[in-house]
Amino acid sequence: MRCILDGRIIVITSGKGGVGKTTATASIGAALALEGRRVAVVDMDIGLRNLDVVMGLENRIVFNVVDAVKGKCKLKQAAIKDRRIENLYLIPASQSDNKNVLAPEEMERFGEILRKEFDYILMDCPAGIERGFENSVASADEAVVICAPEVSSVRDADRVIGLLYAKSITPKLVINRIIPEMVERGDMLNHIDVVDVLSIELIGLVPMDDQVIVATNTGTPLVLQRKSKAGEAFRRIALRLNGMTDLPIEVPQAEGHFWRKVGAKLGLGK
Amino acid sequence: MFNDFLKKMMGTGSSKTDSKDVAKKRLKFALIYDKLEVSDDTLRCLHRDIIDVISRYFEIDQEAFKMDIRRSDDLSALIVNTPILSAKRHVSSQGQR
Repeated sequence: MRCILDGRIIVITSGKGGVGKTTATASIGAALALEGRRVAVVDMDIGLRNLDVVMGLENRIVFNVVDAVKGKCKLKQAAIKDRRIENLYLIPASQSDNKNVLAPEEMERFGEILRKEFDYILMDCPAGIERGFENSVASADEAVVICAPEVSSVRDADRVIGLLYAKSITPKLVINRIIPEMVERGDMLNHIDVVDVLSIELIGLVPMDDQVIVATNTGTPLVLQRKSKAGEAFRRIALRLNGMTDLPIEVPQAEGHFWRKVGAKLGLGK
Repeated sequence: MFNDFLKKMMGTGSSKTDSKDVAKKRLKFALIYDKLEVSDDTLRCLHRDIIDVISRYFEIDQEAFKMDIRRSDDLSALIVNTPILSAKRHVSSQGQR
């Protein structure tokens, strides 16, 4: 049985690629660390690593998650300490192997080691539902499903949610890349539609944000950029995961329209 | 909001269906279809189990036994078709749960 003082392992997954898993992992991880928790983010996308560049730590990789799991190095050697954010560590993926070098049983054992060292362990799951997914989920207690408000992403999210339930994990939902102007026009599924289709608990709504690309360009944490709406949304998700369950979920709004502001003041807004 | 209000007043926007509503409807159907997809293995097991259960009560022609999943827009059905040769006289209550 797990000790209560042990860390929580949360897998960040989506099924479909390109919906923002890596950005979400980096941002939620950074925000949890800013709350004073010891956090490890683990890049499980073996062979296609990217969490390192998103976090700006690509130049400091010596060992990786495969080395750590196989016992070729100590956990402390594979975990790269972020110099800007206290208590944040990255365990990078290996770039030369493929997903089959690891097995779910090995990951379960590795998870037990991680739990002893960190309060939160975020597993950045690769796209797909094959071995990479199995490995990422093997040791997880919880799951966050990232979904964009479009047909293909919602369908894949539904599939992944089914697979998580089969492993006795009740996932929570983040809707990412919301374009409020399109939602308003009726050309993008709104969060109520998506939650209605997927019927799982929502823990955050993240707007499309140019700052995500800017932050990735420079390898700086999104949550440290004051102007970033997505960064702020991810920070609030981290707070909810960290126990602030009554923090309201803000619906992204289109900005700068005079009549809309007047309408909102008069209580005409939705 | 005010824009929606204006649109409604001027009668625009009412004739056009929102593309997101189309998306939602298509999604719901896609998910129902996805979940109905049964693997051949599952079908074979189901086939065997149904024959076992019916055989407890009836003598059936196992060669002529037919099983099929039919789908239409709003519902799907499992259709089992089997000729009955005769009823079994002494059905043991042990077979029932």
